[in-house]
Amino acid sequence: MSTTRAAPASSGRRAAAGRHGHGTDPDHRRPSWRDRLYRFDMRYMPYVLIAPFFLIFLVFGLFPLIFNGVIALRNYRLDDPTLTGWAGLANFRQLFGDDDFWNALYNTFGIFLLSSVPQLLLALIVASLLNRRLRAQTWWRVGVLLPYVTPIVASTMVFSVFFSRDFGMANWVLGLFGIGDDDPINWRADKLHAWIAIATMVNWKWIGYNALLYLAAMQSIPRDVYEAAAVDGAGPWRQLWRITVPMIQPVIVFTVILSTIGGFQLFIEPMLFDLNAQAATGGPNGEWQTIAQLIYKVGWKDLNLGYAAAMSWALFLIILVVAGINTLLTNRLSGGRSR
Amino acid sequence: MKRSWTRWARAVTVGTVGLALVAACSGKSGQDSGATDGQVTLKINFWGDFGLQDLKTKYEAANPNVKIQLNSGEYNAQHEDLQKKLVAGSGAADIAAIDEGFMVQFRSQSDKFVNLLDKGAGSYESKYLAWKWKQSLSADGKTQIGLGTDTGGLAMCYRTDLFKAAGLPTERDQVSALWPTWDRFIEVGQQYTGKTNKKFIDAGSNLFNPILGQQQVGFYNEQDQLQMEQGPKVAFDYTIKAIQAGLSANLASFQADWDKGFTSGSFAVLACPAWMLGHIKDTAPGTQGKWDIAAVPGGGGNWGGSFLTIPKQSKHVDEAYKLLEWLVQPEQQIEIFKKVGNLPSQPALYSDPAIADFKNPFFTDAPVGQIFPKMAQGLTPQYLGKKNGPTRVAVENVLIRVQNKTLKPEAAWAEAVKEAEKASTS
Repeated sequence: MSTTRAAPASSGRRAAAGRHGHGTDPDHRRPSWRDRLYRFDMRYMPYVLIAPFFLIFLVFGLFPLIFNGVIALRNYRLDDPTLTGWAGLANFRQLFGDDDFWNALYNTFGIFLLSSVPQLLLALIVASLLNRRLRAQTWWRVGVLLPYVTPIVASTMVFSVFFSRDFGMANWVLGLFGIGDDDPINWRADKLHAWIAIATMVNWKWIGYNALLYLAAMQSIPRDVYEAAAVDGAGPWRQLWRITVPMIQPVIVFTVILSTIGGFQLFIEPMLFDLNAQAATGGPNGEWQTIAQLIYKVGWKDLNLGYAAAMSWALFLIILVVAGINTLLTNRLSGGRSR
Repeated sequence: MKRSWTRWARAVTVGTVGLALVAACSGKSGQDSGATDGQVTLKINFWGDFGLQDLKTKYEAANPNVKIQLNSGEYNAQHEDLQKKLVAGSGAADIAAIDEGFMVQFRSQSDKFVNLLDKGAGSYESKYLAWKWKQSLSADGKTQIGLGTDTGGLAMCYRTDLFKAAGLPTERDQVSALWPTWDRFIEVGQQYTGKTNKKFIDAGSNLFNPILGQQQVGFYNEQDQLQMEQGPKVAFDYTIKAIQAGLSANLASFQADWDKGFTSGSFAVLACPAWMLGHIKDTAPGTQGKWDIAAVPGGGGNWGGSFLTIPKQSKHVDEAYKLLEWLVQPEQQIEIFKKVGNLPSQPALYSDPAIADFKNPFFTDAPVGQIFPKMAQGLTPQYLGKKNGPTRVAVENVLIRVQNKTLKPEAAWAEAVKEAEKASTS
């Protein structure tokens, strides 16, 4: 330890001595402006250029994160200003016995599975289709990105009407096949139907986005690999799974992490799907209340900010764990080539 | 070790320089446009239509140093925004409208609002409906955070054409006579559904709330203790009875299916506070002349109504109070009533011919200037507890589950009590 402490001090002294000696040292050529600029450019410019990100992250990312952690350890109720002070781990302890939290976690997980898995699989298939020679190729490629460009609130509100019980298009389409003629599906009455409806909205928005990411990765795969495979008699399906997927594996891992984070923070879709949106209960019995929604409810409806902060931290940890597990799994499934 | 230290030192230096740059770029943008040459801009936050557009022009003409900025947003968003600004300590509007349903929440933070009693608002107490005055008064009675604008009142809107098809009377006094009590109301509903095989009311919750509003004690007593066995039980039992009789179309208010129900005849009756008339007219303009307004079973009742408050954060408290005072004067209140239908909460105005003689052509010339004031006056004030909002949502959710057939009616009351208790302690 003593050496590490001494080191910066001595280096500082030496540096100071060196700087002082510039003028007097006859051997040392006085650096010109050009040299200084050049040195500044080489040494410091990268830091200047990446600094804005870290500064903004400090202000809008790290600080709120830490502040949130502090609040999580306090009593902080807007409707009862007298109740303040440290709560210790009480907020976190309350979490374990809270049925609403576990229900929300279950819902979040369910919707996440129903959205991420089909979403990434379909994106893969869409990307491999776009990767072929097509007429109006650019049109198709831009086209799949359109849902992503649509404002999420707008599309969710359209879907909310789409899945309405009495005059919704979803039930009308199902009715064409004779499903639910007398007793139309009430999309908001039970978990499964609600989950499917919400997962549909998520998938619709993100399939195109992921497909373009995959497409970009696929473009870097050399053609001759496919040609060789075709010569060996591998069909398109086999080529997709045996060549494309392993070769774009880092991108797949990336999209899995992205969709994990997004899926666990799911908020706007379940929020606006609710007929009584402002209550943030996610259905009459919390059928599709996600964790993000529950945090919002606890914070801004029950006005219990301390507990909401604790939930946010719990969500953060859960995302870390799930994203880690997903990365491991994806790595395994696609051949573990990224390392 | 040496190296890493100097690197860190560099990174920190560069970071600081960068921060200074960012700070330099962002300087002086937050200047308030307020007080240049005695000019004052007052921002009013509200939702929907408070009928303020014409009044703004009028006030600005009379007060050249004042500019008024009207900011209409979504109902819940405005209240949540106000709550956030109160916590943050800045950014709230100079005048913020608050609805009855949110009043309790804000009243308990009365230290964050200008005490209007200090400004001399005490002289208005006698002009207001007693319960309306009390609703925005802090628990200790020392701080008045708002002055009432409109009040809901309660009546029943019904479709004359659908009533006629079901062989029911259509004239408004005869219809009122059909349902002196809620029991009779449910019987009429059964007659209607039996004849037409259609639903009678829009939603169970829209039956529950008016009935609860008529009870002496609502969800909470004045000590803020949950009182499920009294008022709520009465309202709940009637609602379950109506649901079991198959009267409810199970629609959620202000949603697409509900709005469509006004034109498609998904329901024939709905509880109608004064402000609902504007919504029906806007949603279903094609149904003009098919609606009429009858009395609500069981006497008076109230649903909704708003207040104007001045958050302490306002930089122009005096000017804001002057405007607020002007807005609640009889002349302005009558103009708002004529324009958008919001019923004033100062009973002296009810005898003013401008209100008393007003008939609404959309609702078969129903004498709304008679119906709603009568309801507002025949009202027993009910204490709304701090947790009234979440508790109401919890019980409404149980009713929705019964309507969805995911919960048996027999098990519903126990579930409602459980959920209400959870909401009251959350």
